[in-house]
Amino acid sequence: MSLWRLVTRSIGFYWRTNLAVLLAVVVATGVLTGALAVGDSVRYTLQKTLEARLGQVELAVLPQGRYFRAALAEDLERPLGGTVAPVLQVSGIITNDDGSQRVNRVQVLGVTDKFYAVGPGAVGRASPHDVVAWASRPWIGDHGQDARATGEDGAAGVVLSEPVARRLGVAVGEEVVLRVEKPGLMPRDVPLVSDKDRTVAFRLKVQAIADDSTFGRFDLQANQASALNIFVPLSWLGEQIEQPGRANMLLAAHLKSGVLADQMSTAVKRAWQLADAGLELERLSKQDVLELRSRRVFVDESIGAEALKAGAKAQGILTYFVNEVRLGDKTTPYSMVAALADGRVVPADMHSDEIAINQWLADDLGVKVGDSVDVTYFVIGPRRQLLEQHSRLKVIRIVPTDDPACDPTLMPRFPGLADVNNCRDWKPGIPVDLNKIRPKDEQYWNEHRGTPKAFVTLEAGQRMWRNQYGSLTAVRYPWRQGLAEEIERHLMSSIDPASLGLFFQPVRDRGTQASRQGTDFGELFGGLSMFLIASAVILIGLLFVFGVESRRGQIGMLMAVGWPAKRVRRLLLAEGGIVALLGTIAGVGVGLLYTRLMVYGLATLWSGAVGGAQIYFHVRDLTLLGGGLGGLGAALVAIWLTLRTQATQPAHQLMTGSSEDAFSRGIRRSRGRFGVVAAIVSFVGVAILLRMMPTGGGEATAGAFFGAGALLLVGTLGLSHAVLRMAAVGWNRPMVSLQGLGLRNAARRSGRSLAIIGLLACGVFMVVAVGANRHDPSKEATGRDSGTGGFALYGDSSIPILHDLSTESGRKALGLAGQELDDLQVVQFRVRDGDDASCLNLNRAQQPRLMGVQADALKQRKSFQFTATVDEDQEKKGWGLLRMDLDKGAVPAIGDYPTVSWALGKNIGDEVEYTDEMGRPFCVRIVGILANSVLQGSLVIAENEFVARFPSVDGYRVLLVDAPADKVDAVAQRLSSGLRDYGLVLTPTGERVAAFGAVENTYLSIFTVLGGLGLILGSVGLGMVVLRNMLERRGELAMLRAVGFGKGQLKRMVFYEHWGLMLAGLACGVISAIVAVIPAVQSPGGQVPYLSLLVTVAAIGLSGAVWVWIAGTGALRGALLDALRQE
Amino acid sequence: MVELVEVTKAYGEPGGAGAVSVLKGITLKIEPGRSVVIVGPSGCGKSTLLNIIGGLDHPTSGHVLLDGRDLAGLNDEELARIRNRQIGFVFQLHHLLPQCTVLENVLIPTLAERDGSSRNEVRERAKALLARVGLEDRTSYRPGELSGGQRQRVAVARALINTPKLLLADEPTGSLDESTSQSIAELLAELNRDQGVTLVVVTHSRELAARIGHVMELRGGTLRDRGQS
Repeated sequence: MSLWRLVTRSIGFYWRTNLAVLLAVVVATGVLTGALAVGDSVRYTLQKTLEARLGQVELAVLPQGRYFRAALAEDLERPLGGTVAPVLQVSGIITNDDGSQRVNRVQVLGVTDKFYAVGPGAVGRASPHDVVAWASRPWIGDHGQDARATGEDGAAGVVLSEPVARRLGVAVGEEVVLRVEKPGLMPRDVPLVSDKDRTVAFRLKVQAIADDSTFGRFDLQANQASALNIFVPLSWLGEQIEQPGRANMLLAAHLKSGVLADQMSTAVKRAWQLADAGLELERLSKQDVLELRSRRVFVDESIGAEALKAGAKAQGILTYFVNEVRLGDKTTPYSMVAALADGRVVPADMHSDEIAINQWLADDLGVKVGDSVDVTYFVIGPRRQLLEQHSRLKVIRIVPTDDPACDPTLMPRFPGLADVNNCRDWKPGIPVDLNKIRPKDEQYWNEHRGTPKAFVTLEAGQRMWRNQYGSLTAVRYPWRQGLAEEIERHLMSSIDPASLGLFFQPVRDRGTQASRQGTDFGELFGGLSMFLIASAVILIGLLFVFGVESRRGQIGMLMAVGWPAKRVRRLLLAEGGIVALLGTIAGVGVGLLYTRLMVYGLATLWSGAVGGAQIYFHVRDLTLLGGGLGGLGAALVAIWLTLRTQATQPAHQLMTGSSEDAFSRGIRRSRGRFGVVAAIVSFVGVAILLRMMPTGGGEATAGAFFGAGALLLVGTLGLSHAVLRMAAVGWNRPMVSLQGLGLRNAARRSGRSLAIIGLLACGVFMVVAVGANRHDPSKEATGRDSGTGGFALYGDSSIPILHDLSTESGRKALGLAGQELDDLQVVQFRVRDGDDASCLNLNRAQQPRLMGVQADALKQRKSFQFTATVDEDQEKKGWGLLRMDLDKGAVPAIGDYPTVSWALGKNIGDEVEYTDEMGRPFCVRIVGILANSVLQGSLVIAENEFVARFPSVDGYRVLLVDAPADKVDAVAQRLSSGLRDYGLVLTPTGERVAAFGAVENTYLSIFTVLGGLGLILGSVGLGMVVLRNMLERRGELAMLRAVGFGKGQLKRMVFYEHWGLMLAGLACGVISAIVAVIPAVQSPGGQVPYLSLLVTVAAIGLSGAVWVWIAGTGALRGALLDALRQE
Repeated sequence: MVELVEVTKAYGEPGGAGAVSVLKGITLKIEPGRSVVIVGPSGCGKSTLLNIIGGLDHPTSGHVLLDGRDLAGLNDEELARIRNRQIGFVFQLHHLLPQCTVLENVLIPTLAERDGSSRNEVRERAKALLARVGLEDRTSYRPGELSGGQRQRVAVARALINTPKLLLADEPTGSLDESTSQSIAELLAELNRDQGVTLVVVTHSRELAARIGHVMELRGGTLRDRGQS
């Protein structure tokens, strides 16, 4: 005989009890392991998504609205020894052959073989020649050169990513129509740049469909939703959008270990050329000068400043297109005016309010030296508003029209002007009234082209025409041999290519961080399964202690024969521990099944919680170990806690009697005073909380109500405790009814009874309080302080919209007309793409999408509700916060609560780091937090701050549209069809807010289901308690039978007692929960699921009632009188 | 061997209105090898007295000396060791472990504390004891397979496994029929006689008292010597 043997014998002998304990351990361990494994699965999915979207890319140059040589990639490979793939990325819209299916906002990627060399493992490691699966890309040749842009039958080819193909419903071999953004040479917001012909469409044949393994999911943003990608040959795309041989993205992989973004950027510094900045140096023989020009017309400020220092006698030039030059009622339309400082036509002492004109203009207007002329010109304001401005300038000189200063090459290469032969073909980015063009103007154009007719000082020109893209159109240097090389060397050494957007960013590190810090579903499901786990653990304790209590005699005997109480407890702990260990092992297995069930739930019923992403089942060994140890630990703690009170009574009492003596002694000490005090304190607390309730709703109010509800729960439980104690000893009046007897019985083991009430009450409170918070945000969509901001529609376009949709002129420029648009009010946002920081993204957004808006538009409307601000100053409050001056150059930003708090894990006053398109880091500081809103997923900053940091981001991609309620549908239809080529998708704001709200509601659903399951398990515990109570009192029940009670009466007495406890628990929970959910019920969007809550509470009640009935009936079955005889 | 000096036992608050005095200054001395039977009406405190002698209960006042050692000065661990090494208990309800065999039940006290004997020695001792109580052919049986008398014999063997000097029996025949009671009484008498075990038996059975020896009657909280039976 050994202790081990005794333990194993006991486990085997009491197998029924142990099996019950084991099953409870299985449930606890299974649910815990399952919750952790769900976390593993989500993490694995995010990691897998990261691999799929980044392949082997470590660092990347992101598109910044500039186009550099695709060959720069090769130039960088040599010094770095890695693989650098050039990519040309533009936005696009794609439809199927007959136009019936359309996908907006697709990412059109011009790629070469290099792209696949940096792709996911299988594709990346294999030689391009070996990838049989990729054989369907014959249109991409080797070594980064596109052999041909067509399929075998001659049709131009395209590869679609799988989600695009699915949405379009097309297969390989079918044709699609792809419309892509034609970026133009410079941002469309540049003055005098045409906003016409902004897209170009092609009919293409689908050559292949790319899945995750073939880099179809490529995306630099940390989103788990699949990117909508279209792949075409880089050179083909470059030709079509007039950016031949150019790229706007570089992807670097296979770098020597430890190569950082900074080192890469240093390599760029060594490898870049002026052409990568869109700069060119040209010798103008006739003028005997070397001219530096920009493909973007305006030379960037920083480059211009360096260029003026690059060579001796450098001369800055700014030539602009003016609408007219007027003297009195005589006008000359559409002329070029050059601002320069040549020291001759524009001498050093010329003032900025003076002008020199050529003879042709002087003759045309009849101007004499000393006259003042009015010069009228357009500048472009926000939303491409044309602002006509005037300057009055005094004529100080008239130069011959054939003077060398009247140089046609002074006109920059304005698209739509420089490349047309006839001025009637002009297509500048401003309205030109061709009727104003006279024959003599045509003749001037024919003879002199864009030769400036007037000259002003550079200072005057820059004052009038300087814009965010630069203040020079050229810099000229007196020609000499070797000067070009000198200038180039100077510029390359003095200009940081990062300021031109040529800098690498650590996309993989950022992605890894985003996936690692992503939503922890392990924690989330752990929390949501809390009641299930807690119920199982309580059940373990209950079952175990009942088993132990049934062996009181044995325990007493062991103590009597000399076993110290500690040793007896250790023996029982060993028994329980072995059972728990076996349960844990089985529980881990069950946990795997549970995980699969949860993953299935996330794929179907609860897909809203993961933004519709496909979750892959994955479990780490460590998780199984952790779940197992967690379950085992919880079980052992439960067993240990119950054992603490065992073997504490004298051995002879354990062997001979019950523990009633001790119980009675305890009761006498307390007559329920503690419960009364607890109840009074809690009720006073509830009253104080409700009186001091914060006004104005919001989360503070909800929190206060929840707190009041929780306190009320404590109070009602205290009251229950007092009632039970008083029923035990305080009420001396005879209780002569069955109900009274039931109450006396319930009071007998008041701790056990209170545990039942407490368990059910807490569970019901949580399920009801949490469940009632379901929200339908679309119900409160009309108010300006709601999540929709009072806007009816949310618009998102593939191609930026340049014009102001709120103005008639803006709509006219976009070709939109119609009465229904008359009262249209639109707030437009500039967009810098970034991580989706909404609750639909499981990744932790690192650099969320940034939007620029004119704060006044929203401030005046008082749109959206702020829940927190850094400054309570009324003047600055609300959207005015975006105009705050912050220290350290931080940019004030506003985001909604889910974006800031959940997606970013930030709070008011926290900062998010960004890099602007010039490669300069800057911080965005959260100065205001909105309640849940349609703006979820982005941070909003002031438009001027946005433009200063991202000048190349032209136009507006996000719109908030307000229209009279009766016109919303008509407006939506009109805008959608009118802006079809912009790929505008309009969504009712209510729907969008509801889609975000669905995530929260899904979590609540999961909680309700798992919490409900926990409560049902808890009611099984209730059944166990009933059974135990009955078995303990079998002798008493037999006595009652002996004195004439019928079985039915005994059953009723048992049911009164236990159903009473259950109803008390349900009542305490429901009453407290009702107080806690008052804000949710009163909220306009409150969508309290009365029916499902009622069903849940009823199910819990029913389950409890059934268990009580089963246990009661079972205990009263058989010959009760035998028990009496044994007594 | 055992000496009780002015032992009292009362329930309820001492001096309180509801206080019940069960034992009132009992003084008793039992020499080694003697056997004493304590008789008395139900509820007179016989079992309480036995529990106090065996260290299972504490007196309200007075002293219990075992081999001259006052039990009042010992903590629970030391009392457990004394119960294990020096005292054997036989209860009215045998309290055998249903999950264990007869042999294993006898060996249960040896698991609390080893006396230096090897496992084999202890097992042989248990078998010898079972043979002594006439159950050598039942060693692998479970308690559920034995009759009431046989179970009580196993309980006696269990009480003797650590060769105690003092054997305390509380109504050892209380739940047995007459013939079985007789055999148990004979067994206890033999043990006292042959092995010199000091025996204290509590019973209200006159037959059992008659077979054991010196009879003392507990009545009204005091003990009176009724002499040799």
